[in-house]
Amino acid sequence: MTRTSVLEYEPTKIEAYDFRRAMEEASRCLLCEDAPCSKGCPAKTDPGKFIRSIRLKNVNGAAETIRENNILGASCALICPQEKLCEKECSRTGIDRPIQIGKLQQFAMEHERALDKTYLSKKDTYTGKRVACIGSGPASLACAADLAKEGVEVTIFEEHQKIGGMLRYTIPPFRLPDSVLDQDISQLEKLGVKFELNHRVTPAELKYLQQEYDQVFVGAGTWQPKKLPIPGADLPGVVLALDFLAQAKENHKEMAPLGDVVIIGGGDVGMDCAATSKLLGATSIYNVFLESLEGAPAVQSEKDFVFKLGISLISEFKPVEFIGNGKVEKVKFQHITNESTILLKCDTVILAVGQKMSEDTCSLKESEHIFIGGDMANGGNTAVQAIGEGRIAAAKIMESFK
Amino acid sequence: MKKDLSIEFLGVRCENPFFLSSSPVVNNAEQISKALDAGWGGIFYKTVGIKGMDECSPRFDTLTDGSQQWNGFKNMEQISEMSLEQNVEEIKKLKKKYPNKVIGVSIMGSTEEEWIKITEAVTAAGADMLELNFSCPQMTSHAMGSDVGQNPDLVRQYTKAVVDHTHLPVVAKMTPNITKMTVPAIAAAEGGAHGISAINTMKSIANIDLDNITGKPVVNGKSSISGYSGNAVKPIALRFITEMNQCEDLQTVQFSGIGGIETWQDALEFILLGCRNVQVTTSVMQYGYRIVEDMISGLSHFMDERGIDSLNELVGIATKNIIPAEELDRSFQIIPTINESKCVGCGRCYISCFDGSHQAIEWDYENRKPIILEDHCVGCHLCLNVCPVQDCITPGEVVFKDGRRNNRSGEDVVKQLAYV
Repeated sequence: MTRTSVLEYEPTKIEAYDFRRAMEEASRCLLCEDAPCSKGCPAKTDPGKFIRSIRLKNVNGAAETIRENNILGASCALICPQEKLCEKECSRTGIDRPIQIGKLQQFAMEHERALDKTYLSKKDTYTGKRVACIGSGPASLACAADLAKEGVEVTIFEEHQKIGGMLRYTIPPFRLPDSVLDQDISQLEKLGVKFELNHRVTPAELKYLQQEYDQVFVGAGTWQPKKLPIPGADLPGVVLALDFLAQAKENHKEMAPLGDVVIIGGGDVGMDCAATSKLLGATSIYNVFLESLEGAPAVQSEKDFVFKLGISLISEFKPVEFIGNGKVEKVKFQHITNESTILLKCDTVILAVGQKMSEDTCSLKESEHIFIGGDMANGGNTAVQAIGEGRIAAAKIMESFK
Repeated sequence: MKKDLSIEFLGVRCENPFFLSSSPVVNNAEQISKALDAGWGGIFYKTVGIKGMDECSPRFDTLTDGSQQWNGFKNMEQISEMSLEQNVEEIKKLKKKYPNKVIGVSIMGSTEEEWIKITEAVTAAGADMLELNFSCPQMTSHAMGSDVGQNPDLVRQYTKAVVDHTHLPVVAKMTPNITKMTVPAIAAAEGGAHGISAINTMKSIANIDLDNITGKPVVNGKSSISGYSGNAVKPIALRFITEMNQCEDLQTVQFSGIGGIETWQDALEFILLGCRNVQVTTSVMQYGYRIVEDMISGLSHFMDERGIDSLNELVGIATKNIIPAEELDRSFQIIPTINESKCVGCGRCYISCFDGSHQAIEWDYENRKPIILEDHCVGCHLCLNVCPVQDCITPGEVVFKDGRRNNRSGEDVVKQLAYV
């Protein structure tokens, strides 16, 4: 087994390029005309431009480009599935392998952090206008940033105690440390965006907000976990992925031992649960999913990571029954096409089979005075996709002010 | 593969033409032993003066493209830190241990008397040849180094003084900090020098330290102009060597080439332009003595491939192909062709052609492909130089300018491009 770079659940430092390594990587960039990588970014972070800045020793310029286009630039550098987006489009692939765009973005954002730089400033284009954003995930934050930069007074309503939505509560710290997310959020605070925390907006209050504010953006995410309609699903020991990840982030040092863990689901959340279980000391871990190994929706780098941690991935099996007396003890799986069955002994089962919108949000529709973005709008996609949607909503809102 | 790379330089047989130049890579006998064991044909021992030097710290700086590769290197070291007596002992030890290697010794005085004193001491110590350092650009005395090398009368005078007091072959080392190197080189030949070595380092300021607002290296808040070397100066060295080799008044002297040599190819370029000996420092400072292994091996393979048995056959054969700009054949244009299957669609050829040449490449934004507009193309080959993919853009059709074909085919022109 290859040693991996992350061997702690909560590492003190995420490995980053130093100046020399960043310059070496930037020197590999072909500096394309009409760069395809830039077209591959849903948030329009413009890697073609910021890599050219690094190549020309203008790291401030690089960080500024990232910040102007992506208020979650530091977080995206770490969590974006670049292999499916910007790096997939990279022309350098025609020669050997794509530029490590995420690592270069991380380098520029690390420069911003180390020097405590502020690149964004407020204009007064729409001074006097007020917008409420519901939810503080990537879509809302991106919408808020674009509005605040133009002088709009933005208030973000968040039902949880902390800002960041899924990024805060579900992405494990070895992928996204809180400090990096905080770095992004501090840029919003510098732009004067206000946060109302522990504030769940009810449908009734939403109507009120529509009267109080010039426009309302809703990026409330998909927080309702899907369950499996099979026997034993309510047994103690069967936990939902988002609850498990949130609990680990909140208080992993005091969690009961996980014992033998079975994870169900082959997406990025499933992989995060598998890696988290490993780094929190689970005795054995099996990650089982319906899809083929290559067809499982998690990005390849996540699958590679889990594999390097020594976690078994079992493809093309579906769970048919949770078995146990007072708590879950075994899970029975059946192959999706043939007669094979597997019986796995377990102490913990983590269900990572997707989320949906909560009931009070699923009836919301975009209208003249309500704008919607993020997982709510796209059914569940990447943070960078949500950022792109938040930015589009901000542009529409500003258009409505003209 | 190891061929016989031996060659005679100034009547001294050298097992190969690869020498270390007078510099920090040849300070003392112990250090030089490792170099000679590694395979260097000989050395020019670090310049011996009357007294040892007082050096500054730090004393080096590099120019890079951001990676670890040095494009250029600036140094502020002067001549040997040891006294004449100490160096004489080191040279004796070295010659005793390596009777078959060539121990050249670089020397420098500040008066005629000093030059003579050092010459006699080093000759007696057993050196195989002397190199007169008229070219170090960072001496703390203006009676020494490149200030002398820029003055043909002093060069002639000191060379004659040395030649009159030794039986050894004498090489005069030239400074590039001058417009015409032929002038001091002729003066050295008139003084009796048998060989000319070139180039020493270029006077430079490589970088400004933006924190201290001074040059690099920063020595207690200040810096000085000093010598620049490494691959960046190779083109300048090759130019000076060629001008001297083409100079009628220098036909009897032999040349030792110095300047940015890192590989066998760099060394061969100096040989093809007329050098019977080459000297190396900067790349050794970066990579160590071991680089000579690939110089020996690489040159051997080259000679094997070309069916050449003696290095003598290669010396100076490129010199005649360097001609004045007014004599170049300007009757045709070679239009490049783009191999579509190799093109990765970066568009760099388009950008450079539009912004830096003749707007002869169109960019197909939809398919991300360049299209050469032959009517606009002047055959400058900027595209070919900027393309990141090997052999993607190559020279194509030869188009003669109106009325200037002179019964030639395109192949007649292309043939001249090939190695003869």
